[in-house]
Amino acid sequence: MAASLVVPGQVLASTSSHIPGSGTHVYENNILASILGTSVVTPAPNKSGKPTISVPRQATAVASINSLPKVGSSVLCRVTRVRQRELSASILAIIDPSSPSPAISASDIISYSQLTDDDLQFQCILRREDIRTHEKDKIVINDMYRVGDIIRATVISLGDERNYYISTAGNEFGVVVATSEAGNAMVPASWKEMKDAVTGKGESRKVAKPS
Amino acid sequence: MSDRRRINGPAGTTSPPVFAPYSQTATATALRQRVRKPNELRKIFLQTGIVPSASGSAYLELESPPEPRLSLVPTSSTIKLSCSVHGPKPLPRTASFSPNAQLSAAVKFAPFATRVRQGYVPSQTEKDLGLHLENALKGVLLPDRWPKSAVDVAVTVLEGEDDQGEGDRFAGLGLFNLLAAAINVAMAALADAKIDCLDLLAAGVGAVVPGPDSKPLRVLDPAAVEHDDIRSSCVVGYLPSRDEIVELWSNGSVSTQNANTSIGFDEMVDAAIAAARGAQTVIKEALVESMTRNQMAGKKPSQGETNDVEMKT
Repeated sequence: MAASLVVPGQVLASTSSHIPGSGTHVYENNILASILGTSVVTPAPNKSGKPTISVPRQATAVASINSLPKVGSSVLCRVTRVRQRELSASILAIIDPSSPSPAISASDIISYSQLTDDDLQFQCILRREDIRTHEKDKIVINDMYRVGDIIRATVISLGDERNYYISTAGNEFGVVVATSEAGNAMVPASWKEMKDAVTGKGESRKVAKPS
Repeated sequence: MSDRRRINGPAGTTSPPVFAPYSQTATATALRQRVRKPNELRKIFLQTGIVPSASGSAYLELESPPEPRLSLVPTSSTIKLSCSVHGPKPLPRTASFSPNAQLSAAVKFAPFATRVRQGYVPSQTEKDLGLHLENALKGVLLPDRWPKSAVDVAVTVLEGEDDQGEGDRFAGLGLFNLLAAAINVAMAALADAKIDCLDLLAAGVGAVVPGPDSKPLRVLDPAAVEHDDIRSSCVVGYLPSRDEIVELWSNGSVSTQNANTSIGFDEMVDAAIAAARGAQTVIKEALVESMTRNQMAGKKPSQGETNDVEMKT
């Protein structure tokens, strides 16, 4: 089946021949589209299986967020508040691990001028025990993160009505972009230190492993 | 009068001008008769993606052919609506945890939307329209796809359809036409925002008016200025692929006691459903056209010319 434009409510296939994927729903033995887009048929992984039909969500410039954060998805956050036992952050972008290209493309990055109101961004909380895997009791949060840092984290819970719960335990999670006290950009020097690109002064951070 | 957040007018009372009727009233009334067939809809213009800062947006016009101006009072039957969808976004601070998306809808008249100027305080008519619109959109949404998030739908009435004679009150048929147009434009905006829906929800209005032999006649998409006497009217929100009604609002009365007349409430609802089916084809074509335009914009970024969009019937 070629990629064709579908509208919500349009019948795509029967449940006897296809498996419903994302962007579809089932009604009376039929698979119908749920969103506006193009239908994509993924071949079956083995001979006895059925192909999966889905309507993937295209990342347009207008769409501010393509999907909600779910448990297991990686997110890019900006630290908004640092307390003694936890810190608050705003979710800027979502990396879906099930997508075929896990790297974030340039069009997926939300610019700061578009969504800077924290009331319009999903908030998340990073607890002190979830910052790293070892020596959890000796963590000083101010040595790990500062306000304004861009961190990569993973969602571990939907949380309560306001906040998602995230974790940066793992080598690939931590600070990816930071600004020094002098206001310059910093580059990662080691897993726990970042250096000012201009003055060379080092600051302590929980640094993500560069990919 | 004592609003401290707006520029107030004169302290004394002012009233809008009331125009005297023209001497050729009978001719003007005769020219306002319906020239369309009973099953013909008015022309619908619908375009999505007009507000860049919104997740989804749409603009709808429901227009009648221009008629000769015989009086100073412009009695038009044009409806112009703009809708923007914001979300999925975080819940308000007062809301509790919910595994479903929380949809809220509001309809607001612009001050210049009617002949008599509307105020800024939401009136009861706007609240009624907002509640009915919210009830219709909740029937089409798949809320469990977006846990603990909110979706805000805001419909702005840029030009409302005037009722007969009076220009200050929205009731009856003009209200139903406005609700049907609001449901259609909100559905287009929701689809533009890529929020999961069951179907393309479409709304239509049907009415029972006196026919040529004083018998009841069913009409689709009635306009308030085109009929002197409207016995009953109703508006439905309809899901065509499921054949379900998610919103129904009627007024007036259709008598079924007379054996000669065979038009009852069910036939009037069928007329409104037929009008909704016609509106759904317009919504579908507008969405496919916007998808095609987005794909062309993605493929050819150098093409910067703006194409005019033609009216569709």
